[in-house]
Amino acid sequence: SLGQMSCNPSFGGIGKGHLMREVDALDGLCSRICDQSGIHYKVLNRRKGPAVWGLRAQIDRKLYKQNMQKEILNTPLLTVQEGAVEDLILTEPEPAHPGKCRARGVVLADGSAIYAESVILTTGTFLRGMVVIGLEMHPAGRLGDQPSIGLAQTLEKLGFAVGRLKTGTPPRIAKDSINFSILNKQTPDNPSLPFSFLNETVWIKPEDQLPCYLTHTNPRVDEIVLENLHLNSHVKETTRGPRYCPSIESKVLRFPNRIHQVWLEPEGMDSDLIYPQGLSVTLPAELQEKMITCIRGLEKAKMIQPGYGVQYDYLDPRHISPSLETHLVQRLFLAGQINGTTGYEEAAAQGVIAGINASLRVSRKPPFVLSRTEGYIGVLIDDLTTLGTSEPYRMFTSRVEFRLSLRPDNADSRLTFRGYKEAGCVSQQRYERASWMKSSLEEGISVLKSIEFSSSKWKKLIPQAPISTSRSLPVSALDVLKYEEVDMELLAQAVPDPLRKYTQCRELADRLKIEATYESVLVFQLQQIEEVQRDEALQLPHDLDYLSVKDVSLSHEVREKLHLIRPRTIGAASRIPGVTPAAIVNLLRFVKTTQQSRAAVDELPKTDQYLRDTDRLQEREL
Amino acid sequence: MWRELWTLAVRAACGPRRLCTFQRSRVPALNSGTTIFALSSGQGRCGIAVIRTSGPASGYALGILTAPRDLPPARKASLRLLSDPRSGEPLDRALVLWFPGPQSFTGEDCVEFHVHGGPAVVSGVLQALGSVPGLRPAEAGEFTRRAFAHGKLNLTEVEGLADLIHAETEAQRRQALRQLDGELGHLCRGWAETLTKALAHVEAYIDFGEDDNLEEGVLEQVDSEVRALEVALQTHLGDARRGQRLRSGAHVVVTGPPNAGKSSLVNLLSRKPVSIVSPEPGTTRDVLETPVDLAGFPVLLSDTAGLREGIGPVEQEGVRRAQERLEQADLILAMLDACDLASPSSRNFLDMVVAPTGAQNPSKSSQRLLLVLNKSDLLPSGSPSLIPDLPPYLLLSCLTGEGLDSLLEMLRKELVAVCGDPSTGPPLLTRARHQHHLQGCLNALSHYKESKDLALAAEALRVARGHLTRLTGGGGTEEILDIIFQDFCVGK
Repeated sequence: SLGQMSCNPSFGGIGKGHLMREVDALDGLCSRICDQSGIHYKVLNRRKGPAVWGLRAQIDRKLYKQNMQKEILNTPLLTVQEGAVEDLILTEPEPAHPGKCRARGVVLADGSAIYAESVILTTGTFLRGMVVIGLEMHPAGRLGDQPSIGLAQTLEKLGFAVGRLKTGTPPRIAKDSINFSILNKQTPDNPSLPFSFLNETVWIKPEDQLPCYLTHTNPRVDEIVLENLHLNSHVKETTRGPRYCPSIESKVLRFPNRIHQVWLEPEGMDSDLIYPQGLSVTLPAELQEKMITCIRGLEKAKMIQPGYGVQYDYLDPRHISPSLETHLVQRLFLAGQINGTTGYEEAAAQGVIAGINASLRVSRKPPFVLSRTEGYIGVLIDDLTTLGTSEPYRMFTSRVEFRLSLRPDNADSRLTFRGYKEAGCVSQQRYERASWMKSSLEEGISVLKSIEFSSSKWKKLIPQAPISTSRSLPVSALDVLKYEEVDMELLAQAVPDPLRKYTQCRELADRLKIEATYESVLVFQLQQIEEVQRDEALQLPHDLDYLSVKDVSLSHEVREKLHLIRPRTIGAASRIPGVTPAAIVNLLRFVKTTQQSRAAVDELPKTDQYLRDTDRLQEREL
Repeated sequence: MWRELWTLAVRAACGPRRLCTFQRSRVPALNSGTTIFALSSGQGRCGIAVIRTSGPASGYALGILTAPRDLPPARKASLRLLSDPRSGEPLDRALVLWFPGPQSFTGEDCVEFHVHGGPAVVSGVLQALGSVPGLRPAEAGEFTRRAFAHGKLNLTEVEGLADLIHAETEAQRRQALRQLDGELGHLCRGWAETLTKALAHVEAYIDFGEDDNLEEGVLEQVDSEVRALEVALQTHLGDARRGQRLRSGAHVVVTGPPNAGKSSLVNLLSRKPVSIVSPEPGTTRDVLETPVDLAGFPVLLSDTAGLREGIGPVEQEGVRRAQERLEQADLILAMLDACDLASPSSRNFLDMVVAPTGAQNPSKSSQRLLLVLNKSDLLPSGSPSLIPDLPPYLLLSCLTGEGLDSLLEMLRKELVAVCGDPSTGPPLLTRARHQHHLQGCLNALSHYKESKDLALAAEALRVARGHLTRLTGGGGTEEILDIIFQDFCVGK
């Protein structure tokens, strides 16, 4: 089941597309595989500004699985073994790291042991998974797959706080039983925008891609849901489901008397299944079919597989550090739904970070951590590890403070270089491509700044732009590029020398335009980012015992919080609810004192280590 | 509140977001943090007030206020005429000191303005500084924290920092409570609510705009709300005297069980009959306040309803208001009947009000309390009957005036402590903060209107909301998400 897409047949979306670009910038796989397996590529939010574009595509399940397997099984030095994990192998902890034991491998269901220097758990919905249809409930992680019970018990015994979440999936419908001719058709973008920085195009031409169709629910659907609530245990359960991807039942209950969208999405190029996005439901199967057939276009629809709900265990993500290693068990890393997230992209984001850190840990290198100022991945992990979550966590752009800086277009300049130098996870080819792009952008921006004409001359050169001629100061080409009506192509027509060469590469031209759009705001955002990074540069000792340490004055409540969450930096500590500024200053003082005494022991002149780090950060060019 | 003061400094809006167009010798380096200012001398009556700035735009601000003259020589006191950069109106002839970093208190570029101590001058200079691009009022403990970050404080000096920040945040919290209690607070909260909702709707449109049930017209509605808000802010800022004046001076609140003689004390201290006095318990039902000059300090003295239970609705409301006012007090005058210390109402008052405030480490709590035992003239032996654990007290007879001198002397000491801390009595700084943030909010709203790119427009609203929530508290992302999920059925 390697590469199996267990829920929707699509990748990306608003916020999620950002994550995919970042995963790709670190050479994670899913974006590249999606560029080879998509059947309908469409960027969401096109009209709302490039900082919030949402790259998205319908993916062919079969192709994705094939391409993913091909890639993974052909990765040199990688051994793949399939089997259900029942238990962890644990040994004595290493000194100088927090944690009461250390992971040494896993035990499979057949009793065989696999030893490892680091272990990553990505349990999805399988930890004590229960599938629910109507009033029926049976243990399963996915329809037809066994859940993982032994592992859940081991984790609970180790002291992890376990919670319960739920999600759901819609029924699948036979394609040839749908009357598409009366429905709204949505065609893909032309040209398609690829997910990966390495690709200039996707594998399939826009005209060969499949359309999606839109239909709506109606009052009859509401009636069926409301009349049959007594047959629907999933909806009544108290387990928290997501607020933003609700089942049709919760939509009807929370927003009655409205119609809701249902997207009919293809499951694959040659698949005869349609995935009705928005119709996630847990009614008994025969009622699901009845509900479907009262929807426009689906009057004669044949249900191939019913929708169902899944309830599963997750662990309080405040038990993990930003490298995704657990505080309790050394060298055990957690990623994906086990940490309370939902969605392929959120899982991929954690997967790439857990993978990098599991390997760095083995080679005794410092962890690779992304901050909130560097990427959506940083925001995701910081939210989880400092605040925890009580509902399935999904990425939104509104969670991101520095949204204008952390854009889909520039994920490579934010992350690829760090990935290459610190984590060693980036291929030479990608590194070179990102370096070329970065220097071309810098060169392009300085050239654009250097071209200055009077506003009346610009007005003559580019009559399309509403340039005010009342300004007496000369106007730079970069300022002209800020106008919505102007792009690099237009500018290069006006000033062919030296701008022509920056329109040769479409991606470069587009990115220059985006940089210009946000330029004036980014100067200030950079200032704020630096203020945050100053706090992020102040590291807290990872082996500090907050409950017993005496030389620092902290209230009991603050100690407990710090003990549970183990913030890595002063910045992270200050984001924990209930940790006061006074406590932060006491921590700072403590850190400084201990650093001084350690330095004295080592006879190293490092008294102001972290302050110097701060200065270095300030110097760092972003 | 704690978290906000700390993190908002870095997360939310920091000062107006206008590019400096002023070309002088020292235009601030844009990549090295914001510049802060504050009144750093105490309140109370003083000849000279010291206003400090720290950060890269300090020299720029000094240049702007002392234009057309050049920067004074470093670390030398120079006499300069300060004028308001917006109106050109002269503010004061002041001594200015220019400390280029790193040889300064914080390690950053610093400026000190030694101005004449009148409230109008101080307030004028603070507001002028607030209008300089790149400058914003300092958060609690921020000067010290910057000094620490730049290695300018040794460890012993830093030990006091946490206490200082605690005291300052406490003082600011009380101050915020005072501000928000009244018309101005009501206005600010209303504006912040409007803006939060507007932002939530724009964010929803960005994150879920492709979804169903986001009705068309969401953005149009936001546009019209923003326009209305702009008008309201402009009107408010245009007439500084409109709305409620911030109450100035240290807040001294007289409290105690009914019939302890609170109103008599208020009348005695203010030398005029502010409150009706009668032998009947529960005579005072509302909060009565009167500005008085106590030992040279400006004080707002509040008489409150006696604290008791099992009473009618009107008096109950009076008790609620009394407790609210108690929260905002800098100094509490706790009054008991010296002959009645053993009664349940007195015991209860000692346990509930006196003990909690008195028990706090005086260096940590900046709220102070004096226990006054009234009606000493009725004591048969001249001293109150012994009560276990009675905290230090003062004996007074409002009737004969006996003990008034020592009470005044104690009050003077307490007020020195309260007003010596520049953060406690800063109605001036408060006014500057208000104006700064309201203006910042207004500027951001104008950016919202100009932006065609929705991400940029949302950013402008985020900045605008950041300014307002700094006045009212709150302002997390979760609040936005909550509104989104309440108002829209999103999910695809």
